[in-house]
Amino acid sequence: MSATPVLETDGLTLFFNSVAAFSDVSLSVDEGEIFAVIGPNGAGKTSLFNVISRVYRPARGTIRYLGADLLRLRRAQIAGAGIARTFQNLGLFGNLSVLENVLIGRHHLMRSGTLRGGLYLGFAQLEERSHRAAAMEALEFVGIAGVAHRPVHILPYGIQKRVELARALAMQPRLLLLDEPVAGMSTAERGEITTLIRRMHERGYSIVLVEHDMGMVMQVAQRVLVLDFGRVIALGTPGEVQRDPRVIKAYLGAQLEEEAAV
Amino acid sequence: MTTFYQLLFSGFALGCVYALVALGFTVIYRSSQVINFAQGSLLALGAYMVSWFAIDKSLPFGLAVLAAIGVCVLVGVVFQRLVLRWVAGQPVFVIVMITIGLSIVIDASVSAKFGANPRLLGDPWSSSAVHPGGVTLIWAKIWTIVTVFGVLLGFFLFDRYSRYGLAMRATAADEEAAMAVGVPTRRVFALAWGVAGAVATVGGFFLATFPNQLDPSISAVALLAFPAIILGGLDSPAGAVVGGVTIGLVEELTKGYQPAHASWLGTNFYVIAPYVVMILVLMVKPYGLFGRAPVERI
Amino acid sequence: MSSEVRVLGRTVSAAGLIAAGSVVAAAALTVALPFMLNAFWLSTLVFILIYAIAALGLNVLTGYTGQVSLGHAFFLAVGAYTAKVLGGDHQLMALIWIPAAGVVAGLCGLIVGPVALRLRGLYLAIVTIGIVFIGQHIFLNVDSLSGGPQGTAIPSVQIGAGAQCQPSCSVDFSQGTSLGGATIDHNALYYYLSLFILVLGMLFVRNLVRTRTGRALQAVREREVAASLMGINLVRTKLAAFVISSFLAGVGGALFGSYLSFVRPQSWDLILSISFVAMIIVGGIGTVWGPLLGAIFVAGTPTVLNHYADSVPFLQHGSSSGGLSINEFSSIFYGALIILFLVLEPRGVVGLAGRAIALAQRLARGPAIPPSTPLPSQQSA
Repeated sequence: MSATPVLETDGLTLFFNSVAAFSDVSLSVDEGEIFAVIGPNGAGKTSLFNVISRVYRPARGTIRYLGADLLRLRRAQIAGAGIARTFQNLGLFGNLSVLENVLIGRHHLMRSGTLRGGLYLGFAQLEERSHRAAAMEALEFVGIAGVAHRPVHILPYGIQKRVELARALAMQPRLLLLDEPVAGMSTAERGEITTLIRRMHERGYSIVLVEHDMGMVMQVAQRVLVLDFGRVIALGTPGEVQRDPRVIKAYLGAQLEEEAAV
Repeated sequence: MTTFYQLLFSGFALGCVYALVALGFTVIYRSSQVINFAQGSLLALGAYMVSWFAIDKSLPFGLAVLAAIGVCVLVGVVFQRLVLRWVAGQPVFVIVMITIGLSIVIDASVSAKFGANPRLLGDPWSSSAVHPGGVTLIWAKIWTIVTVFGVLLGFFLFDRYSRYGLAMRATAADEEAAMAVGVPTRRVFALAWGVAGAVATVGGFFLATFPNQLDPSISAVALLAFPAIILGGLDSPAGAVVGGVTIGLVEELTKGYQPAHASWLGTNFYVIAPYVVMILVLMVKPYGLFGRAPVERI
Repeated sequence: MSSEVRVLGRTVSAAGLIAAGSVVAAAALTVALPFMLNAFWLSTLVFILIYAIAALGLNVLTGYTGQVSLGHAFFLAVGAYTAKVLGGDHQLMALIWIPAAGVVAGLCGLIVGPVALRLRGLYLAIVTIGIVFIGQHIFLNVDSLSGGPQGTAIPSVQIGAGAQCQPSCSVDFSQGTSLGGATIDHNALYYYLSLFILVLGMLFVRNLVRTRTGRALQAVREREVAASLMGINLVRTKLAAFVISSFLAGVGGALFGSYLSFVRPQSWDLILSISFVAMIIVGGIGTVWGPLLGAIFVAGTPTVLNHYADSVPFLQHGSSSGGLSINEFSSIFYGALIILFLVLEPRGVVGLAGRAIALAQRLARGPAIPPSTPLPSQQSA
C-alpha cells in the first residue's frame, strides 16, 4: 500500500441555510500530487476550499490531514500544520507592501512577540533578516521581486495573483490549496502561471487546484474531481474525466445555458 | 404601584425622544455607514431655534416648530452637499471626524448666540398635567408620545411606500448597484441628512419641555441615545425605536428604584444604566437585538 | 550637474546631506526649546507631548489594528489614579509609578478586551463610549481613589535617592532644578521627561510595526479571515493592541495628572477621548509621526487661537450674556478648520507632509527632468 494520503475527506457536506453547497464529497490527495477540482460556476468548489481551510464548518463528514483529524484544529492553526491557500477574490492586505504581505505568510514560522519586536534587539533583528531573505526568495520564484516594496493595492491584478502564490509558498506548506490561480488572466499570463505550478510540483508540494480553465487543468493535474451542483460526478485522470459522458453533459449544459443567456 | 405607573409613563415619554434621536442616527448610518456625531448638536440647534422663533419672533408655537425644522433640515442638507460629498469614498473615520467638526461649530455657534443660561422654550404646555388614578401625566409628555408616534408612522410609511423611501433602502443595501439602476444616490444622501435634521428638531424641543429646561447641555443627550441604536442594531429603524423606548424605561426605572434598593451602585447610577444594559445585551448578541452580522466574503 | 559630495571618505548626495543636516538641527532645536520659550508656550508644548504619548497608543489600536476606540480617556484616568495611589498614598518613586501606571492601565485593557473582541467597527466604538461613562461613574463614587467629585492631588515626579541626600542628588519636578548654572524649571523638567518617553514610545512603535506582531496587527485591520489563515491568532493580536494602547494611555495619564498636579473625575470624559481620535486622524492614521503631528494640531490650535483672539476686534471677554466670546470664536474656527483640513487632505498632516516632500524633491531635481518615476517612494507603513 502507498503511504498515508496528505488530504482525505469522507462524506463531506456543507449547508448554507439548509441549501446544500456540496454533499458527500470524498476525495484523497496523495503526497506530491496535483489534484484538481473542477466544475461549472456555483458547483461548490470554493466552498470546499473554505471547509478544508476551516473557514466554514461542515455539517457532516471528516477531513484528515496526514492521517490526523483536521476539524480539531482551529483556523489559525492550519498554517502551522502546513496548509497554505490562495483566494479566488484575492486575500491580500492591500495597504501593505508586497514584501510585508509575503512576510505575514511567515508569521507562524517566526517567534518575536510584541516586546522583542518593539525593542528590535539581537534576536528580532536576526529573525527579521532571515525571514526577509526567505520572502524575497519566494518573490523571485514567482518573478516579482522588483515590486517588493510597492503597496499591493496599486499593482495590477495579474501581479497581485502572483503575490498570493509567493505568500503561500513562503508559508513553507506541505499542502497548497490554489483557488483559481489563472482566473481573469491573459493567455500569456496563464502560460506563465501554469509553468510556475509545474515548478512547484517539481519541488514536491502537494497541490489541490480549483480551476475553471479546463485546458490548464488537463495540462498539469494528475487526477481530476468534477463537481456539479455540489455532487461528485466524476473522479479520475484528465483523460478519463474528459471522456466521461456525465462531465460532457454538465459542461455542455452549462455552456448551452450561457449561450442562451447571451 | 402608582410610582411604578408614574415611572413607566415618564420612561416611555423619554424613550420616545431617544427613539427619535436614534432614528436620526440610523437614517444616516444606513445611507453612508457613518455615525453622525453632530446629531446631538443638531438637536440642540433645533430646540433653540424653536425657542427663538416662538419667543423672539413671536411665531405661534406650531409655526415656530416648522420653521425650526426648516432650519435644521437646511443645515443638514447644506452640510451634506457642501462638505460631505467631497469626501465620499474616504475612510469612515475621516467622515466621522468631520461630523465631530460640525458638532464643535454648531455647539459654539449656539452658545455664542444664546449664552449658557437656561431659556424658555415657548411651548404652550409648561407644567400643566392631568391626574388619572393618582398618576401625574404631564401634557408635554403626552404630546411627546403622540407626536413621536406620528413622526415614526410617517417615517415608516415614507420608507416603505414612497419612491424615495425605496431609493434610500436600495442605496443602503448596495450603493453601486443602486447607482447603476439610476437611483439618484446623491439626492438620497442629502435626503438622509434632511430627515436627520427634522427628527433632531422634534426630539430636541420635546426634550426641553417640563420638567427639563433648555440649556446647552441638551446636546449631550445624543450620547445617551447610543445605547438605543446599539440595542436595536445600527441599520434597523424599527430597532432604533424599540431600543430607544427600552433605554428610556431602563433609565427612569433605575432613577426611581436604584437609590432605595441598590444604593451601593452609587449616586446617579441611572445615567449609566443604559450603557450597562447595552454591554450586557452585546455580550449575548454582538450585533444588537435586530442587527445582522455582516457576511465576510472571501 | 553633480549633486554629490564626499564626506569622511564616503560619497553622499546633496539631498542626503540636507536631510542629515535638518535632522541634527531639529534635534538641537528640540533640546534647546525650553530655553527659548516663555512659560505659556512651554506649558502648551508639555501638554502636546503628553497627549502625543497617549495618542501614540490609540494609533496602535485604531490606526494599525483598525479597532476604533472612544474609551481612551478611561485608560488615562487609570494611569493617573495609579500614580496617585503608588506615588501619593504609598510614596513610591516616579521610576516605579510611571511604568506601573502603564502596566495597570494595560491590565485594564486586558480585562476590557474580551468584551470588545466580540464586536466590530462602530459597535466597538460605542461600547468603548460606555467604558468612559462607567469609568467616570466609578471615579465619581469611589472617593478613596479619586477624591470623588472634588478631585484629588497627583504627586509630582521626583527623581533621585530620596529624602536622605536632598537637595544635591534628587530632583523634584514641581520645584525645578539647576544644572551647571542654567535653571531648569518645572515646565522644562516635564518637557524633557515627556519628550524622552515619547521618543522611546515612537521608536518602539516604529520597530513594532515593521516586525512580526506589527504586521499581524495590520493584517487584522485589512482582512481578518485571511489573517487567521496565515496563522495569526486574532484574539491574541487584538488583545496585544489593546494592551499596548492602554499602556501608553496609562503612562500619558500619569504624566498628565502629575503635570496638572490635581485632577477631577469629570476631566476623563468623552470629549477627551474624542480629542485623541481627532489627533490620530488629523495627524495621519496608521503612521508613526501622525500622533505627534495630530497632538500639535488638536492641542495646539485652540491654545494659539485663544492666545491671539485678543487682537480680533469684535470679540468679547467672558460669555455670560451671549455675543461672540473668544472661546466660542476659537471653537468655531477650530471646528471649521478640522472640516476644511480633512476635506482637503483626508490623510492628515502626514499626507500633507508627504505632498510637501514630493514637491520639494521635484523642485530639487529641477524642472528640466521629467518625472521619471511614476510614484514618489511611499513612506513604509
